[in-house]
Amino acid sequence: MDLSGGFGARSGGGVPFREVTALESLHLGGGDEFRRMVPPENAGGFTALLELPPTQAVELLHSSSSSSPSQPTLHSLGTLAFPSNSVLMERAARFSVIATEQHNQNGNVSGETTTTSSVPSNERIKTEPAETETCDQAAVEEQNNRCGGKRKDFDKKVKSSTKKKNKSSEESEKLPYVHVRARRGQATDSHSLAERARREKINARMKLLQELVPGCDKIQGTALVLDEIINHVQSLQRQVEMLSMRLASVNPRIDFNLDTILASENGSLMDGNFNGTAMQLAWPHQVMETEQSYHHRQLQQPPPQQWPFDGLNQPVWGREEDQDLGNDHNSLMVGAANLHPNQVKMEL
Amino acid sequence: MQPTSTMNEEFLKKWQMGLQMFRPSIDNASVSERKRAIKLSADVAMASLRKGTTCWSRALIQKTATEDNFLVRQMLSGIKEETLINKKLPKVMCHRKIVRRSKKILMRRKSRSAMEEVAAKAKKLVKRKTQGLRNVVPGGEFMSNNVLLIQETLDYIVSLQTQVNVMRSIVDAAEAGIER
Repeated sequence: MDLSGGFGARSGGGVPFREVTALESLHLGGGDEFRRMVPPENAGGFTALLELPPTQAVELLHSSSSSSPSQPTLHSLGTLAFPSNSVLMERAARFSVIATEQHNQNGNVSGETTTTSSVPSNERIKTEPAETETCDQAAVEEQNNRCGGKRKDFDKKVKSSTKKKNKSSEESEKLPYVHVRARRGQATDSHSLAERARREKINARMKLLQELVPGCDKIQGTALVLDEIINHVQSLQRQVEMLSMRLASVNPRIDFNLDTILASENGSLMDGNFNGTAMQLAWPHQVMETEQSYHHRQLQQPPPQQWPFDGLNQPVWGREEDQDLGNDHNSLMVGAANLHPNQVKMEL
Repeated sequence: MQPTSTMNEEFLKKWQMGLQMFRPSIDNASVSERKRAIKLSADVAMASLRKGTTCWSRALIQKTATEDNFLVRQMLSGIKEETLINKKLPKVMCHRKIVRRSKKILMRRKSRSAMEEVAAKAKKLVKRKTQGLRNVVPGGEFMSNNVLLIQETLDYIVSLQTQVNVMRSIVDAAEAGIER
């Protein structure tokens, strides 16, 4: 099994991931040895596992999938040779004992048991992967909150690895109400449920934003992503200012029909490779079309889409053209206006 | 979601409509006035694309209405411009000084631990950034929760992108025309 794929993908990684959370909890539970072993910026349990020789980690995953779900931690860790084996075994034993005892308080084990135990059928199957993933995530979050340290890294890593989860959580949001299953041992009051739903929503939206803003995918952490978003919005606003300044500084000409220019411009943008001469030929065509549409229609109603995005195959143009041009007094300030009469002259 | 060509077209139409309001005066005006006219009509065009469904669009329309009421009325004629312009902004800004002071007192009472401090600092940072985002997005202060804020930001970014694309193509055409 590919390690990184196993961590990143959600489909087959249900049980192994829980093992990782168990490991993470152990690691967090006081694993100073681990912390020394792991480079400081990768305090995550994932990378802790990755630090291990690959065979051992694979063994861990395999053994966890094969062993019974109720006692995963002891079995899996027994087969591995951790660097600080004895201490960790101790801790694992302690932790799992505590965990099995305190079913109601320990979110981590509850996360494991609920997802692996048979659950009442949820009519929204899509929310189930969302639930399992978020419960793991929340389990990790709880561990984070309880044990402190560089926990935000955990959070973000967990979030970034669950792409499928976001899709399913987004789909569930479109429903009138979401079937949120309360996790075992988790407080079932409406507050925490609502909070969890809110958190999921925010995370889904942040994902969308990250995809929209270029260069945000690589960034970990909400604060930095927000930074990037703010910078992007500010740069867009500044661009608008610059463009309007440039437009204003261009000399205004009369008898200009903005439609035509942009029409052919956009047509050229759409078509891609555009010949300069062809464009000059085309513009008179556009002129007639759009001017007629302008004069014959109300401004409120959008004119039918005769224009320009489907190219330059426009009907014939004849004498009427001159009259139309003369009648047109849409004097807008863009300077390309003087192109317009020039082109016509060329044609004539 | 990236800007579509229909959005470009609509924006252009509305922008043109707005620019035509300035038609008689535009040739004699100075550069800065022309720029102001361009920018205002572009902003209202961008906001009117959403037809008042989003918070930022309403806030933007109200902002430009303070600068040029007549223009906004003309451009939005028929699309509930009365409600959009005269409507009071929905939420009063909370008195940040008071909130901050009370939070300081609370923080002093609460006992601190290492992990809590780090988490609290991270939360503070995120809060500061969201406040910065509210400052940038029009009407951000009036969005009560973060979910709404992020939704609005998403929409706002897409609309800004269409505005920039259309304006840039116009400007390029114009400047290319000048050179010829």
